[in-house]
Formats: sequence, C-alpha cells, structure tokens
Amino acid sequence: MSTRITIPIGPQHPLLKEPLSFMITVEGERVVDSALRLGYVHRGIERLCQTKTYVQNLHLFERVCGICSHVHTTAYCQGVEALLGLEVPLRGLYLRTLLCELERVHSHLLWLGVLGENIGFQTIFMYAWRDREIALDIMEELSGGRVTHSGNVIGGVRIDVGDAQFSSIVSRLNDLEQRVEKLLGVIQHERTLRVRTQGIGYLSPEEIRRYCVVGPVARASGVDVDLRRDCKYAAYGRLHVNVALAHEGDVWARTLVRAREAIESLRLCRQLLVGLPEGPTRVRAPRRVPPGEVVSRAEAPRGELLYYIRSDGSDKPARVKIRTPTLTSLITVHDQLEGVETADVSVVLSGIDLCIACVDR
Amino acid sequence: MADLLVALAKLLLFPGFAFLFACAMLFAWIDRLVIARLQGRVGPPWFQPLADWIKLMAKEDILPTGTNGWVCAALPVLSLAAVLTASIYIPVGGWIAHAFEGDLIVVLFLLSLPPLAYFLGGWATGGVYSVIGGNRSLLQYFSYEVPFLMALCSPAILSGSWSIAEIAARQSETIWGALVQPLGFILALVGLIGKLKRAPFDIPKAKSEIVAGPLTEFSGRKLALWHLSIEVKTVVGIFLLVNAFLGGSGVSGLLPAPITFAIKSLLVLLILSVASVLYARLRIDQLANLGWRVLAPLALLQIAATVWIGAT
Repeated sequence: MSTRITIPIGPQHPLLKEPLSFMITVEGERVVDSALRLGYVHRGIERLCQTKTYVQNLHLFERVCGICSHVHTTAYCQGVEALLGLEVPLRGLYLRTLLCELERVHSHLLWLGVLGENIGFQTIFMYAWRDREIALDIMEELSGGRVTHSGNVIGGVRIDVGDAQFSSIVSRLNDLEQRVEKLLGVIQHERTLRVRTQGIGYLSPEEIRRYCVVGPVARASGVDVDLRRDCKYAAYGRLHVNVALAHEGDVWARTLVRAREAIESLRLCRQLLVGLPEGPTRVRAPRRVPPGEVVSRAEAPRGELLYYIRSDGSDKPARVKIRTPTLTSLITVHDQLEGVETADVSVVLSGIDLCIACVDR
Repeated sequence: MADLLVALAKLLLFPGFAFLFACAMLFAWIDRLVIARLQGRVGPPWFQPLADWIKLMAKEDILPTGTNGWVCAALPVLSLAAVLTASIYIPVGGWIAHAFEGDLIVVLFLLSLPPLAYFLGGWATGGVYSVIGGNRSLLQYFSYEVPFLMALCSPAILSGSWSIAEIAARQSETIWGALVQPLGFILALVGLIGKLKRAPFDIPKAKSEIVAGPLTEFSGRKLALWHLSIEVKTVVGIFLLVNAFLGGSGVSGLLPAPITFAIKSLLVLLILSVASVLYARLRIDQLANLGWRVLAPLALLQIAATVWIGAT
C-alpha cells in the first residue's frame, strides 16, 4: 500500500523567488504527478501598451522582466524601427548589443546562484552573486541603472562609452572572466554538485523540438539554436558567436552551457568595445508609425524572445504580442518531474531558469 | 547543604546550563563568521546569535489548530534536557563533573534522543513539510548513527575503558586517538555532521525542498528552544570528539588545560564550518548509500583493526 501526499510548492515557497504554484503529488519520496498554475503576476501589459504611445511603451516593456529588461526593449525597438524604416547608427547597435551581452552574464550568474542555493550549495550562491556585481556595476556606470537600464530608445541608444571608461571596463571584464572560469571549474569538478544535477530533468532533442523549447535548455540537449548566430540582429552580424552546446540534456549540462555562455558573452563584450565604431548613437524617430505589422526576435538570456507589433498608423500600437522563452520550458516541467525524488524537484525547477514575470506579463 | 550547592552550581553554572549556553552562542557566532568569511561575506557581530535567540523567545508562539500543545512544548524541552544531561559526563578543560565506568554509552544514548524528539516534532505538528522532514530525519538517523557509534567504540576499546574521562586521560598520556585511528576520527566527524544536521547533511530541513522540515510549524519560544538544543548539541558533540579522539584537555605542560581544550574544540568546529561551505547538500537516498555502503563497512574495518592492535 502506498500513500500519496500532495506538497504545495508556491505561490510562496523558499524555492521560488517569483509567484507560481506547483502541486506535487508524491509517493514516499517519489514524484508521481504535478500540476502547474500560473497567473499570479499577470499585469495586463499587452493590453496596457495599446493605450500608450510608442515612446511611453519603452518603459512599460522594460518592466516585463526584472532580469532581462534590456533584451525586451531591444526586441521592441527593432520591431518599431523596422516599421519606421529607420537605419540605426552602427555605434548605437554596438552599444545595444553590449548591454544585451552584459545582461546575459548577469542573468546567468544570478541563475547559477539560485541553483546553488536550491541544491544547498550556499558557497556557489555567494560567489556567483558577488561576481555578478561586477557586471551590474558596469551596467550602472553605462546607463545609471543596475537592472533596469532604459538604455534603448527607438532609433538607437541613449548611452555612450567614453575613452576614460573604456580601459576600466575592459580590465573589469577580464577580471570577471577569470572568476567565471573558476566557477566553471567548480561546476565541472565538484562531486556533490554533479551527483545532485547529473541525470536530473533529462530532455531528449526530440522532446525539445516537440515542445519548441529554446535557449540554454535546448542547447544543453544538443539542439543547436541561437538567434545571435542564426538571425544576426543588432551588431551580431559583425561578431563571431561561438554557441555553447552540450548533449547530456540534464541540469548539469544546462549549468555548463550557461557558464560557458557567460564566458562567451564576456568575450563578445570585449570584441564590441574594441571594435566600437565612431559616430552618433541614435537617430530621431517620428512619433507616428506607418501602418503595418512586424515580428521581431532577439536571443534573451533564457532563449528566443518574440515581439509581434501591429501598427494602425497612429502613435500607439494596435497590438503587441510577446512570446517569452520561459513558457516553452515550463510546459516540459511535468515530463521532467515524473519519477524524480522530492529533493530533486527544486533542481528541476531551477534547471529551466524560471522567469514568471515574463510568462505572466 | 554545601554538597547541594556544589551540585546546583555544577548543574546551573559550570559545566552546566550557563556555561553551555555561553559556549553555544559563541560557537554559533564563530561558525557563522567562519562560513561568512569563506563565502566572501562580512559575517555577523558577536552578539548576533544571542540577539536572534532573545528575539525568537519574545515572538508570538503559534501552533496549527488540532495539534497537541503539551506534546509540542515537551519535545524541544526533552531534546534540550537530553543534551544538557549528556554534557555532565563530558570532561571540559580538565574539569570532570561526573564520571563512571560506562558513561560513554550513557552520553551516546542521551545524544540519540534529540533526533527522536525532532522526528516526533514533525509528526506532532502534522504539516506536509513537517511530516516529510520527520521521515527524512529518521532515515538520516539510521544512516549516520551506526557508523558514528562504531567510530566512537574504537577509542574505548583501545584504551580499555568506557569512561570518557578515562579515555581522554589515557590518550593524553600516550598518543591521540585521531593519530592512531584517523579513519575513526573522520567517521566520527561525518557522523557528527549528520547528527547535527549541518550542511551538507541538512537534508531533513532542506529549505528549498521542504521549507524548514519538522520545525516548519514551530514558532516563538518553542522554536527558540529547538534552536538552542541544536546549538548546545553542537557544543556537546564537539567536546565529546575532543575527549574521545584528541586527548581531551591534555597535559602538554605548555598551555593550561582549559586553553588546550578550547583550541582543540575550535579546531573541530572549524572543520565542521569548512565542510558546510565545501559541499552541496546530498539527497536522502545518496546519504543512505553513503552511510551503509561506505561509512558502515569502514567503521567495521576500523573496529576490527582496533581489536587486532589491542590484541597484539
């Protein structure tokens, strides 16, 4: 005879930093079923944006997500610029990409810390979040904001890098790269971390394709997708992006992929700074946008981010639809949780790098 | 009358409640400070554990409806009483309050009571997290307790006495147990980490999985007593290990006995702190595997080797 217990995880639980509810049914220590409930932070952003002008919406979309705020405005600006037929100056594109990459570093280190916390490895948490401060400091210096930068405007960026900042930023990036490499060494060699994450939350490449999973989760299962290389938006066409891949498909592989991606992002940041072209950072954009519709995509830290924008010729968008990467990974959680131990629920949930604010909007 | 006063002083002041309370607070602070420094943080000021404890004592005491208030109040008291009683038989800094042949067994028995109270605490309050935490703590108990007991048997066998004071005295005259039986010392340390539910064996109270395990529904004074009993148990466990493996307060001639004892205790505490920084938390089945497939056979080997050494 077996007794089933239902454990509630969320909307308030030490595991989750954002509200989301899982009802986990367990038999002994083994998970047999799970049910997901979303919608605790639904803010009606997609409806709200129809009542605001294109410029006002910049600030709204920046607040869809608390971590990858810049990539949201990047995708939005790209779309509106395409509708307007604006040519963004190269220096503007470079700086836009620079913030995107710094944001990826900060997001991946934040995630690594959360994973460490969730598997009871406090030290990783403290180290990752301490090192993340370097990226945050640089972003604050560039834009005035640590996580919400307001860096993008329609037609370019409102930030710039001076000669005095250049060398200080590059040396700090080098320092950060060494630290992330040290963390990568820990991930690869620390036995307790490996026994907790290896073989947990396995997703095959077929499952990844069936559920349309994107980003580091897909890349950890050997599905080679990365918009930075495949779509070449912003300044990525001028950079050589090495896509981090792994084939194990478990949480450990996702950890490795994210750590390697952070190192690659730091390399890209240096490339961007060294090759930064001269010239203006932005062009003036008209208030009214000609009628039309556009799909704009960008590689957020969690994977492909998609903005669909339709304009009716006024100064307010007729419809904006956002598809965030976390939703696709959330669908796989039920499969991933089946048959794992109760203790591994936290590992599975951290493995996909949840961003509930993005999903709910 | 004078006898009664002395006995009371032993019980309440030294090496009884007041001394252990001070040690518990001090050790908790050092532990938190060392961990913080190793993790690149500043760490709390010295009075933080005391302040936390006082704050907790002053907080409102709530229990879920339907739970038996008396049982929930008795369990932390039982846990604390067991470790305080155990401390009476452990020599501290050359001072022996009570000792008789066989007190090691009494101490080990008393130290195995708190995990039982902890488990019952989970079941008495009856929350989902508490029950799962309680189950886990019992599973964990079976994993570490046997290797821990066997590891502590070997110094007794080697010195031919089951009295802690006697073992320590014999070791300080000849050679430390940890040097003769390094394996036994390591096993006892691992067992102690499991007993104290410290990282990486903090499985029954894993925050990201089951909130606070058996103590989830406790609050206020009862929670403060639980915390105190765990902190005092840390002190008692460390003192026990120092006596059984590091020659107790020793007669080195260089330093006074209390200082030698303090240094050795802090050394063991340091090992515990470093261990909690270095590793990720194991899963309960991984701990059970470790306990029965690695630690228990090693402990058996250790005892066999000890008996063989004793025979030759």
